[in-house]
Amino acid sequence: MKRGWIAGAIGVLAVALAACAPGGGASGQNGDAQGGEAGGDKVTLSLWSWRVEDVKAYDKILARFEESHPKIHVEFKPFQATEYNNILATGLSGTAGPDVAQLRAYGGLQPLVEAGQLVPLDGKVEALSGFDAKLLEGAKGHKDGKIYGVPFAYQTLQVLYNKKLFGDNGIRPPATWDEMIAAAGKLKAAGITPFAVAAGPDATWTLPIVHEIFGNARYGSTKFRDALLSGDKKFTDPGFTASVKLLKDLEPYFPKDVVAVKIPDVQALFATGRAAMYPTGSFDLAPVLAANPSLEVGAFQVPPPPGSPVTTPVTPGWADGSFGVNAKSAHQAEALELVKWMATPEFGQLYASELKQLSAVPGVTPSDPLLAEMAKNYAANGAPYTLLVDFRYGQPNGDAVFRDEVQKMLAGQTDPKSVAESVQKGVEQWFKPGN
Amino acid sequence: MVQAGELNTPRRSAAPRWRVLAVFLLPALLLYSVFIVYPLVTALEYSFFEWRGIRQAGFAGLGNYRDLFGVYPYDQQLWRAFGHNALFFAGTMLIQNTVGLLFALLLFRYGRGKRFLQAAFTTPYLVDPLVIGYLWSLLLNPTFGPVNSLLEAAGLDSWALPWLGDTRTALPVVIVVNAWQWVGFPMLLFSAALAGIPAEYHEAARVDGASAWQSFRRVTLPLLTPAIGVVSVLTFIGNFNAFGLVYAMAGSTGSPAGSTDVLGLLFYRVAFVEGGTEAIGRSSALAVLMFVFIFGVSLLAGSYFRRRERRLL
Repeated sequence: MKRGWIAGAIGVLAVALAACAPGGGASGQNGDAQGGEAGGDKVTLSLWSWRVEDVKAYDKILARFEESHPKIHVEFKPFQATEYNNILATGLSGTAGPDVAQLRAYGGLQPLVEAGQLVPLDGKVEALSGFDAKLLEGAKGHKDGKIYGVPFAYQTLQVLYNKKLFGDNGIRPPATWDEMIAAAGKLKAAGITPFAVAAGPDATWTLPIVHEIFGNARYGSTKFRDALLSGDKKFTDPGFTASVKLLKDLEPYFPKDVVAVKIPDVQALFATGRAAMYPTGSFDLAPVLAANPSLEVGAFQVPPPPGSPVTTPVTPGWADGSFGVNAKSAHQAEALELVKWMATPEFGQLYASELKQLSAVPGVTPSDPLLAEMAKNYAANGAPYTLLVDFRYGQPNGDAVFRDEVQKMLAGQTDPKSVAESVQKGVEQWFKPGN
Repeated sequence: MVQAGELNTPRRSAAPRWRVLAVFLLPALLLYSVFIVYPLVTALEYSFFEWRGIRQAGFAGLGNYRDLFGVYPYDQQLWRAFGHNALFFAGTMLIQNTVGLLFALLLFRYGRGKRFLQAAFTTPYLVDPLVIGYLWSLLLNPTFGPVNSLLEAAGLDSWALPWLGDTRTALPVVIVVNAWQWVGFPMLLFSAALAGIPAEYHEAARVDGASAWQSFRRVTLPLLTPAIGVVSVLTFIGNFNAFGLVYAMAGSTGSPAGSTDVLGLLFYRVAFVEGGTEAIGRSSALAVLMFVFIFGVSLLAGSYFRRRERRLL
């Protein structure tokens, strides 16, 4: 019981520390620069990230940067992803912060922009003009429209499938919605979970993703999104409600008791061949293959469900984040050099091959054939994952309301129409159409 | 003479003694101020400001408090979470503290294996609630967990429920796991209180012809009032600050469908998960409300139990 009390106090303390902006203090990067290499005027940049698991890859990538920039040494400093936002906000406010930092996209970037903690990159990084406009949106200040980071990656959404299970059951990647449902029925009859979908405690954030994969075409994709932003349509539109209902209709093909199923459970189900299809993002390909390297994985875009205004398959996607420059960095010129380099194909190609992710740098093709296929699909039929891309600029976040309500629906406590109404009710408290 | 002089020493050197006391007290007071008082005061201050990230953007008055009660879905989640905290407290009092009292009575009456059992019952609370939570969510996993496999193996298929995935069972399961972890704590406090009741009282009751139940109801229970008071207030504080266990078992959203959402989780979501530009103001306001409520009720309950104790004397 005492622990609970302490946990509460720590919670209060965490807010206090996140906000109390420690000025002064010894600067980490200066100390490193003096104590580091023998070369006297070498500058050490500190690069902050939330990717603890990528240390080795970044060491390799940054070594290439140092080859062409012998006067700059970059120190990669990752933090726990769940703590990163607070650590970064605090770090940027003092003098011991990073010179260059990995930044969240869209709504997650705004607290830093509004507090004036980042350097606008417009006109400073010329290569940005060649970047995909959809991906650049993720690195912009919502109010001033300026670019605050060089996007590093994007994610695409589709269904991964187990090639062997498909072959054993005489199933091909479906060309129509009905074919997909028939395949799911066949798999279920064979004792295989058709769709590896989790809706448990750790998985609510994936529910809007599953909805995008199955329902993006049904609600009208980019056209509906534009109508939402201009105010011509609302989430209560019948098309959106119908797209939510798809999840309820598909529930028999999800694992049993889906509301109690966690993400590691479905990753295990798919990796061990107990589930045949896994509707998820490109980010899940590497972990799935790490769990079972011999798994033969294919990917398909969900065929548009009956009644869809969009009749071709869609690949929803979003920008993952960007690299930006700390407004208080003592090495502005060198930091700018680094983010400029991060906009070059050299960095993009290294990033894609070392980390098995989709690079945001234009012209970079992934070496992995499956990722290359996802990239091709996104280039041809890409659409924004609108709840994340457009409705995270105020509280409550659109996708936060949506995930809670969808979980309720899967638990049998609400219906698709109320889900849509709740999302509308939540976002219209801060969202003003036409901006 | 020597004796009298020694007796007088403390009074004559009163001032230096204070200085000695201060040396011992100051470090603790300093730590307490820096880590408890300062954050509490800053949280209060922050709750009255408008925020843009970590930049204050002007005085907000009660704006952040109004947001908590007026902005959907916080307005609904706040009351829902409060209700769950209340249920959590009621359930814990009912299960953990009555079972704790029962264990204490049994151990007191039948002394065999007392040391071992006391240690066994108190072991779980040496482990962090987060660890306990993850452990139990693994045990109760509907796909791979051993609890349901055992139930099915025993032919109790209808009992193999998705314990943490059903809105009706999730909160009770969390309460029971919490009670399982903490039952040793009231047991120890009640054991100490029982040992402090003079045996003559029970002998006198027996001589007067009281049954075992009457002797418990009329003699033991009233004399346990101080212990019951302490246990109740600590349970209240612990339950209304619940976070680690619920977070580990039900995630930050109080899964499924918010059926296990508590104030601690709501605070965590507003402060860190959604992490919007107004996060600091709103979460500080919630932290202040929680503190005022818990502190206020604890004071009231404390004075109530003191009055009850005085009536006993």
